[in-house]
Amino acid sequence: MKLLQTMLALQEREGWLSDETLGRLARETGEPLYRLEGLRSFYPVFQEQPGAKHVIEVCRDVVCRMQGAPAFREELLRELRDDPDVEVREVSCLGRCEQAPVAVVDHHHDASNATEVKLALSGHPGQNGVMQAHDAATDPYASAEDHYGVFRGLRDGDPDAGRDSVIDQLKASGLRGMGGAGFPTGMKWAFTRGAKGGPKQLVCNADESEPGTFKDRCLMETLPHLMIEGMIIGGWVINAERGIVYLRHEYGAAADALRRELVRAREFGVLGPDAFGPGKPFDMEIFISPGGYILGEETALLEALEDKRGEPRNKPPFPTNFGLNGLPTLMNNVETFAAVPMIVDKGGDWWKAQGVNDCPGLKYMAVSGDVSRPGVYCVPMGTTVADLIQRAGGVAGGEKLLAFSPGGASTRFLPADKADTPLDFDALQKAGSSLGSGAFVAVAEGRDLLDLATAQARFFRNESCGKCVPCRVGSNKAVAMLEDALRGDIEAGLPDLLNELDDTLAQTSICGLGQVALSPVTGVMELFPEVARRLEKREDA
Amino acid sequence: MSEETVNLTIDGQSIEVPAGTTIWDAARELGIDIPVLCHSPRMRPVGVCRMCVVDVGARNLQASCVRPCEDGMDVDTRSEKVEKHRRMLLEMLLADYPEDSARDAATGDDELLNMARDYGITEVRLRDGAAGRPAGVDLSSPVIAVDHQACILCDRCVRGCNELQHNDVITRSGKGYGTRIAFDLDTAMGESTCVSCGECMAVCPTGALTNRALADLKLEPLGSD
Repeated sequence: MKLLQTMLALQEREGWLSDETLGRLARETGEPLYRLEGLRSFYPVFQEQPGAKHVIEVCRDVVCRMQGAPAFREELLRELRDDPDVEVREVSCLGRCEQAPVAVVDHHHDASNATEVKLALSGHPGQNGVMQAHDAATDPYASAEDHYGVFRGLRDGDPDAGRDSVIDQLKASGLRGMGGAGFPTGMKWAFTRGAKGGPKQLVCNADESEPGTFKDRCLMETLPHLMIEGMIIGGWVINAERGIVYLRHEYGAAADALRRELVRAREFGVLGPDAFGPGKPFDMEIFISPGGYILGEETALLEALEDKRGEPRNKPPFPTNFGLNGLPTLMNNVETFAAVPMIVDKGGDWWKAQGVNDCPGLKYMAVSGDVSRPGVYCVPMGTTVADLIQRAGGVAGGEKLLAFSPGGASTRFLPADKADTPLDFDALQKAGSSLGSGAFVAVAEGRDLLDLATAQARFFRNESCGKCVPCRVGSNKAVAMLEDALRGDIEAGLPDLLNELDDTLAQTSICGLGQVALSPVTGVMELFPEVARRLEKREDA
Repeated sequence: MSEETVNLTIDGQSIEVPAGTTIWDAARELGIDIPVLCHSPRMRPVGVCRMCVVDVGARNLQASCVRPCEDGMDVDTRSEKVEKHRRMLLEMLLADYPEDSARDAATGDDELLNMARDYGITEVRLRDGAAGRPAGVDLSSPVIAVDHQACILCDRCVRGCNELQHNDVITRSGKGYGTRIAFDLDTAMGESTCVSCGECMAVCPTGALTNRALADLKLEPLGSD
């Protein structure tokens, strides 16, 4: 952590990391130059050239693309081209999809049109509003002075029985990892608690970066005490002494909210030298990611915390046994930790009963794309897709639904006639897609699904770490062929080749990114016959 | 103290190995050669080329150079499924590989081209990324030629330089498709802290790092400029 944090501070202070700066750092720390180059060139926060005074980062990914991001960017380039102090950069999803299209000015101010961009540049930005989740129902506390009461109750009781009971309640609740993988949380906690070796490590994965995903941002900005209490309970159950929040660097407001909340938690005495009882310390710190979607992959995240290039590890071993610095590590997503206080308070059976259609618990869905009221919605697990769209105001402009992506860039688009599918890990898998991270994107009729699926594949290509051959090369070749096809230049045998590439990426890539990179594309080829037909080379062409 | 062992089957042959042994090493004990480009028995395995994938009956194939054997595993190292994916991986690498490999021309031990010949790959369906050598060539070192276009990012030179020789010069630089090897803070090899030990060139499986003839090299006394 220390080396990357030093480099982040230097980047912040000097605006870039020059060879001279890194040469000095190498002499001071004894780190070889090659290692510093490996880090500087890998993480997007680090700049190798002095940048312009002002930087406008415009999102290029699927939801912003649907809402006119390419034209927005062109407009900014046109209007600001004579200003040498301004640089317009295309970046991956910024996690503000409810405001699409979106740009962030000087890493701080959100803007959705050229006027807002110019106001921010002139030093008069509008207020970045805090978005509340609709129908949030996972906070056990009626008032702020009661916060952390669930943990305090555990701490005052019998420690062994309390730890057993937390794991039992989590198992009974049916809670699964909300970051996308859906691993049963109670099992993960039990594995880490029972793992040999220590001290045990605790990490919250707050690096949500998949296009369409912004629920964790909302939870951190508006209900930070839940995630922090969930982490404290996790630390207490596995007997850790510290917790780390790995936060994406674009989430400045969330970082501020978490920092304020850590101060509160220390005032409550649930963090600090006696957090787990007299002389039993536990504390937390926030690590700001130097950037890149791949860092949300849990082992890439651990590599970054170890000051390495954030490239996923080969698994097994898994982090529960061999995590941060080789120690057993409990890592969960923001939403997963945030559910824990409620589950411990009301019991696993209560949580499970909150779902509908035989599905367990509550789920925060980030809803964007073609809906009237994009935002974060807390719904019973098992709520149907059609119901979710209704809660979000229906399809925008009264259009008809064409398709939806239920859970993020890696989850296949399903046709509108699957809108009766319950939002649930198993049900969506059965329907041919996945709940993923709960990033629901609605697509209205009239949209080009091939263009949108290609945008998803392009995102994975852009965010590939480059470590393994299939993802590094395969995603690049596939996107190049798809972009040509969208322009009408179709290679003979393209559909078969894309399916073969998808198969090889899925079977041989090291991590989830490469394994799913082409799935959105082969998904629309399989489920939308008109898309598949467009990729066939016509004899008369 | 007796060592913990595991029993497994590889291509129908049973074997008992110490716990922690990789499938690749266990197969070798049985005389089964699993193709590989990034691994070398002298090095820590990294599992990046994926040519050594095998079928253990899991959801996806496993890189045998890094996958520890498990009790009761039934491993297939050369099923049609496995070979199909290896051929596609070779196609990917060949698509960006230059027409002429210095290693193939000089010593004939270009491991990528030889493997492609073994697999009988004559046609690459993926788009050519090597025309015009966009990745570039670095001839700044008097003794080692660098052809970035022939680099498959197997990581052998990185491990050879930093972990075997402890010269600490080579890294992967950049990210994604744009990743390449670099020296120090991405300087030309001849201007870097490279001591020309030759390890990187010796372990390189392709035409990326090859030796240059010393015959015409003019040696100059220190301090002459």
